[in-house]
Amino acid sequence: MASDFLSTHRRNVLVMAAVTAMGGVPITAGAANAKGRPAAEPGGRRQPFDEDWRFMQGDQTGAESLAWDDTGWRSVDLPHDWSIEDLPEQTPGAVVGPFDKRSIGGTATGFTNGGEGWYRKHFRVDSYPSDARIEIVFDAAYLMTDVWLNGRNVGGSVAGYAPFALDLTPHLDRLGNNVIAVRVRNLGRNSRWYSGSGLYRSVELDILHPASRVERWGVAAWTSKLENGRAVVDVSSEVVGPEKGDTLRSRLVEPDGRIAAEVSTPATAVTRQALHLRGPRLWSAEHPELYSLETELVRGGIVLDRLVQPYGIRIIAFDAAKGMTVNGERVKLKGGCLHHDNGLLGACAYPDADKRRLRLLKARGFNAIRSSHNPSSRSLREACDRIGMFLIEEAFDAWLISKEPQDFAQQFPEHWHTVIDAMVRSARNSPSVIMWSIGNEIPFRSTDEGVEWQWKLANAVKHLDPTRPVTAGLNGVLGSQLIAGVETARPGRAGKVDNASTVFLDVPGYNYRLEDIAAEQTAHPERVVYASETFARDLYDYQALQDKAPYFLGEFLWTAMDYLGEAGIGATARLKNGAYPIYLPGFPWVNAWCGDIDLIGEQKASSLARDVVWGVSDLEIWVRRPGPEGTFEYVSNWGWPDELASWSWPGSEGRMLGVVVHAAGDTVEVHLNGRPVGSKELGPSDRRRAEFQIPYAPGKLEAFSYRAGRRIAHKALETVGAASRIQIVPERLDAGAGRGALSYFRIEIVDAQGRVLPDDRRRIDLVIDGPASLAAFGSASPLATGSFQSASTESYRGRALLIIRGNGQRGTVRIHARSAGLKGGGVTVAMA
Amino acid sequence: MDAPLYPPARAFVMPRRLPRLLDTKDTAIADLKAIPQAWAIVEAEIPNIEGRIGNEIIKPHLGNFSFRSLLQFGVVKPDALDRIDQRLKALGER
Repeated sequence: MASDFLSTHRRNVLVMAAVTAMGGVPITAGAANAKGRPAAEPGGRRQPFDEDWRFMQGDQTGAESLAWDDTGWRSVDLPHDWSIEDLPEQTPGAVVGPFDKRSIGGTATGFTNGGEGWYRKHFRVDSYPSDARIEIVFDAAYLMTDVWLNGRNVGGSVAGYAPFALDLTPHLDRLGNNVIAVRVRNLGRNSRWYSGSGLYRSVELDILHPASRVERWGVAAWTSKLENGRAVVDVSSEVVGPEKGDTLRSRLVEPDGRIAAEVSTPATAVTRQALHLRGPRLWSAEHPELYSLETELVRGGIVLDRLVQPYGIRIIAFDAAKGMTVNGERVKLKGGCLHHDNGLLGACAYPDADKRRLRLLKARGFNAIRSSHNPSSRSLREACDRIGMFLIEEAFDAWLISKEPQDFAQQFPEHWHTVIDAMVRSARNSPSVIMWSIGNEIPFRSTDEGVEWQWKLANAVKHLDPTRPVTAGLNGVLGSQLIAGVETARPGRAGKVDNASTVFLDVPGYNYRLEDIAAEQTAHPERVVYASETFARDLYDYQALQDKAPYFLGEFLWTAMDYLGEAGIGATARLKNGAYPIYLPGFPWVNAWCGDIDLIGEQKASSLARDVVWGVSDLEIWVRRPGPEGTFEYVSNWGWPDELASWSWPGSEGRMLGVVVHAAGDTVEVHLNGRPVGSKELGPSDRRRAEFQIPYAPGKLEAFSYRAGRRIAHKALETVGAASRIQIVPERLDAGAGRGALSYFRIEIVDAQGRVLPDDRRRIDLVIDGPASLAAFGSASPLATGSFQSASTESYRGRALLIIRGNGQRGTVRIHARSAGLKGGGVTVAMA
Repeated sequence: MDAPLYPPARAFVMPRRLPRLLDTKDTAIADLKAIPQAWAIVEAEIPNIEGRIGNEIIKPHLGNFSFRSLLQFGVVKPDALDRIDQRLKALGER
């Protein structure tokens, strides 16, 4: 019931449990505060609806009917993504786990399949008020979704990533069995990346008063002023069916349940209020201080409707002189683009998985993500709010012109506003959201038609939320110069020269336009811009630009983490000397391999470099993988050379290896087995990087970084011994027992001294015993190596990742891993 | 400190486009293609140009990419673009 935000604060959980409001069995408003709230009644918003669905893949003619026999269907909990499940008829080299060489999506979807799937869920509503309005809320479904209740169609969605709600009330059986049937179709070539298929995000029920309520996503709160230790939060609330005498109460509540500010005014169709706080705790990515924003519709002392959402008090502003300021402080964006999938879990939007992704990125210095190229899940957005990560929400990857034959461009003319409305209204109270992107690399955006759509979309956003700038990810050129009139232009821009691609954008985002950014500022000193996509190799240049140019907000790396699909866009390959330097990855490439962080959360060499350039680390060292004689290395634009933090290169004894050192100091030294083998002074043109050719000999390779003669850092790589055993390392000690709770375990191949073998591949088998199930098990390999959902996988770079899911019962789970010839590893965790 | 606002505009009137010189840096490939004289210059300098930009991935982006923005992808060579730029100048502003 409680949001993820609230669930971690025990007192708020109790508060929530005590104040669930409902229609026909209302609660007394006078008691609706932190103390003495009435006992919980069934109903209210955000009732969990993720458990105990039945699922069948394939066409099921008539499965929408109430009487359809679904007893043979598989039982699933949501989120669920059938595209990540193993395909039938596994065929080595062609059908491997969920990957199919003949997939219609090909490299775009990582050789996964869509198709049609059906979900059914039986439920009763007799514990709810007999006249309650009941809505079902999908955080999204991929792709074409049709929903029936008791055989009656109640609506659907074509958007894939946008939340939608449907009214079930007219067709409910108030006393008997009800069946929701959902058909989801993911057909044709409709995505440039792995989309997943099905009900991959959460589903909830809202139990509401029959006639009066707060409109869905109808609350818009905005910190309008910070001054003299006080904050003003303006709140606008849309109310459905207000009656004379109704009251709309808004309050901000501290995590401990104390009320920080409260206001009550007569409820009208649009109720505008202001909350005044003294000594507000301010939200930023660095210090993500949150309140709960509570909204109550009250009639005669009875609370008819109640919403609770996380809220952060902050003012974010952008201008060319200061860049981005957060509560008056200048902040640069250290961003990464993220696709929506959760790696081995496919598209499933588990809150624990989303939080883990953000924690991994935050540890590497990221403070921002761009949800590319679609609205993010509620769980990811709320994790951004809570963990502290700026977020750019993005609506579209295409407007009118397709990038794939069946992509959203087919739906855009009829459904664009639905997506904009759902994206903005559902997320506009999240403090993490800093901009709304109306599109990514939109084809032909600079034509007259494209310019008009840019205006339509930007202004549609501003009608829903005028408190954040509108942006877009722009590749290539910005189009011809033009001048907009006073009715049409952004404030202050009437009569001034702009470009077709930027004219209605408040903060343009540039994809791979590094060379243009500084040059363009002469002609457009008013522009404040950021790099919405970047190549990892340009890391240092973007940082340098960020350091010197106030108008440049920072970069969003493509991508922060590996993702499924766009297989091999970051590939490297060894080609014969003299060959044309091009490599086109095909099956069995299945992941993009362009992330700083790999599919299971481990750092790649580009991430180590970023650590140094972004100040997370003073020194990192790694080694270029030696290739066969007579070959050279091809590295794609989005790739990074095949480099590994390893000094274990059996078979390369005596061969010169490229050793790469990134250092924050002014001098680096490299020692091999205690003897100096190289040193270099680092000047600005070195970009913090030194490379040495060192003859390989097993042992210990050490790097030292000095600044003004003083050693500031030391790193070492050691030649590891033979694989000896498997170790299982829980990422967190508190494993959740809930059915949606995930726990992560790193599975490592180690030598006798416990050192991970940095380049080891071998089969690992698991046994899991206890109240949990395997949610995913796999490696970071960019190639299809097998199932992500079986108890067997192949390690890659010495590692694999196990994700288990609670089953709702507390108890002890024992995990044992074994591999031929090695001592097995085990771990016992308490599910609580 | 007051928070900024980004209010919507009142109505859409198509902005007035300014004439410009064509080139391979700032002019989209699709714009060059739409001007027969310009495209003839391109084809003369890069005879197999249709093959180079005809794949399904690049096609949707011809309205966004200039020839020089494709340099990083190795689709065209800078010396050919220099020659094209010289000849495009003669076409004057469009």
